[in-house]
Amino acid sequence: MKNSGMEGQAGVELNKQDARLPVKKAPKRERQKKESRAALYLVAPAMILIFIVAVWPVLQSFYYSLFDLRLSDPKKSEVHLKYSVDLGRYLDNYPFLISSIDSEIKKGNDAAELQDIKEKLQSLDEKLQKDPKVKSQYNAVNDKLMNFKQPSEDIRFADVEKSTAEEFSKTTESVSSQLNKAAKKTEFTQEKKLLGLASGMKDSIIKPTFIGLKHYKEDLTEPRMWRALGNTLTFTVISVAAELVLGLAIALLINKAFFGRGLIRASILIPWAIPTAVSAMMWSFLYDGQNGIVAKLFESVGIVDKMSNLLTTSTGAMFSVIFTDVWKTTPYMSLLLLAGLQTIPSSLYEAASIDGAGKWKQFTNVTLPLLKSSILVALLFRTLDAFRVFDLIYVLTGGGPANSTETISILAYKVMFSQTNFGEGSALSVIVFLCVAVISMLFIKFLGRDLLNDGNGAGR
Amino acid sequence: MRKKANPFFYLFLVVFVFFVMFPFLWMLLSSIKPLSELFGDKAFTPFSSHPTFQSYVSVFVDYPFMRYLWNSAVVSTITTVYTVIVASFAAYAIARLQFKGKTFILGIVLSVSMFPQIATISPIYIFLKNIGLTNSYLGLIIPYTTFALPLSIWLLVTFYRKIPGDLEEAAKMDGATLMQTYWKVIMPLAVPGMFTTAILVFIAAWNEFLFALTINTDTNYKTVPVGIAMFQGQFTIPWGEISAATVVVTVPLVIMVLIFQRRIVSGLTSGSVKE
Repeated sequence: MKNSGMEGQAGVELNKQDARLPVKKAPKRERQKKESRAALYLVAPAMILIFIVAVWPVLQSFYYSLFDLRLSDPKKSEVHLKYSVDLGRYLDNYPFLISSIDSEIKKGNDAAELQDIKEKLQSLDEKLQKDPKVKSQYNAVNDKLMNFKQPSEDIRFADVEKSTAEEFSKTTESVSSQLNKAAKKTEFTQEKKLLGLASGMKDSIIKPTFIGLKHYKEDLTEPRMWRALGNTLTFTVISVAAELVLGLAIALLINKAFFGRGLIRASILIPWAIPTAVSAMMWSFLYDGQNGIVAKLFESVGIVDKMSNLLTTSTGAMFSVIFTDVWKTTPYMSLLLLAGLQTIPSSLYEAASIDGAGKWKQFTNVTLPLLKSSILVALLFRTLDAFRVFDLIYVLTGGGPANSTETISILAYKVMFSQTNFGEGSALSVIVFLCVAVISMLFIKFLGRDLLNDGNGAGR
Repeated sequence: MRKKANPFFYLFLVVFVFFVMFPFLWMLLSSIKPLSELFGDKAFTPFSSHPTFQSYVSVFVDYPFMRYLWNSAVVSTITTVYTVIVASFAAYAIARLQFKGKTFILGIVLSVSMFPQIATISPIYIFLKNIGLTNSYLGLIIPYTTFALPLSIWLLVTFYRKIPGDLEEAAKMDGATLMQTYWKVIMPLAVPGMFTTAILVFIAAWNEFLFALTINTDTNYKTVPVGIAMFQGQFTIPWGEISAATVVVTVPLVIMVLIFQRRIVSGLTSGSVKE
């Protein structure tokens, strides 16, 4: 860079002055220390924000992906690492179950069996209350319920040992089945109530939702996931390749002085600037099977047999999505490449043509090597964008027909927000993240450290 | 020094511009057609025989489109202003000051800008839901930081680096403190760069779809891209209104692009081209 030399000189002169006036300035090391401390203060807010809104969520996504997390199921709507008892639910059932059993015993309905059940339940209850912490929560929840109040979340759930929890499940299961069996033999006065309370008891234990890497195992053997990944790759490779070739061709063509550059630049920027969702909506009108002008044009050119096939067949839909992406991003690609082209000094071309190199030779020996880093940077950002594609497909095809344009981001979104399965959805989104990380690492290997060191050469 | 353009070249330009602009032109023409001409045979005739503004009226009367525009404007403006301010400090330190771990920090900024949004959405959604920020402006401004902040830092670093260093040295020699140097010397020179950054961040925030779709599901808080995408009715698709809405969104953008094209281009290409 140009200023590097100038800055160096200024630095030298500054040092000379320092030597002459040693009193005025703090020693250099001191100043540098101060500078780096100031720099940290300046950088800190941005880094903290980035950590909170981007790094932490990605880690959290990974964490969630290890759990069976479903927002629609109250027992699985949160991350549970330990076994716990929902005391609210338990105390809504247990006392009433005991008293119903008592009243049945009084009436003499299968008293022996019921007595046995009652003892089982009471010993379970005693065991539960043995733990002093559980006992205090137990009493607090009981008080609230007695006064017809809802117990708060933090006292409602009591952590218990795994063994206690297992015993709890076993006992409640057996009680419930014993009662069912007994009900078949004898006629209870309040049969429905009895059975309802017994089965309600079963639901008051909460198992940990931690399932380890199960979601990943399932996803990796799931054909739908592989299909979505395949669709994503097809979309990415074809659209980025087309955009690169067309973009480069356009950049080479318009890399000259001509009248109306501003107009060209503006028309290049407009498709890039409008929201993808809006342009997808626009194209879904143009592709419409009955009234779409572009669908009609495609039909008359012979790209599709019938204009209604465009969005209803799998190849037609994929083609439409890629075509729209190419329309929207090729101009942008050519803009990036044009900027790269303009940094190549024309003297190189003059030298090449003096040496007798033809147009093609000039392109392969001068343009391409010098444009390499521009091309790679443009490719990197475009590939990542294409791989993460969401809004275009969500609005244009919704992933259809028959999931033929469903990309991995769309699949993750559907699993999370349509099936409310956040555990599996998070696992899918972690897979997207890992793919993106691999792609960018490959590119950065090609790019070397150019990207980061870009301006570090600017003097210091 | 450069090759001269010939008539064929201009022909190519016309074809190129036509191809790029055709969808917009068609939307513009469709937006002034009466409903009967949007379907059937007349759907393919470009010029309407009975032009009408009915679709435009309907967009603002039958749909809360004004509300969408307002929501988008509020969310994008606040996001832009606050991220550019936070980013300008960080970018100044990265571009102009010496400290350890600079490359590392720049690496983090770059990798975060590559994060797929879908990988952050489930924790962000659950968090915002738990603290009751879904269906609010803040509920979008917070997640928008994920892409707006790295983008602003990245762009501003390249702009700050272009400012000649001797001015800063001179200020230091005159005994200016670091903050004085920043406010009195660097800032005035960085304003154009900050402005360019602001334009690009604003466009990015205005166009965002996934967070807006999932976090603000209430009509009162929907943004323009989500609003337009949700225009489709249960059984019929109101193409007239959709084309009118598209035109309403596109026209200000076209004007903005025409005015700021140089800045936008310099911003878009600054990260990718070594000078």
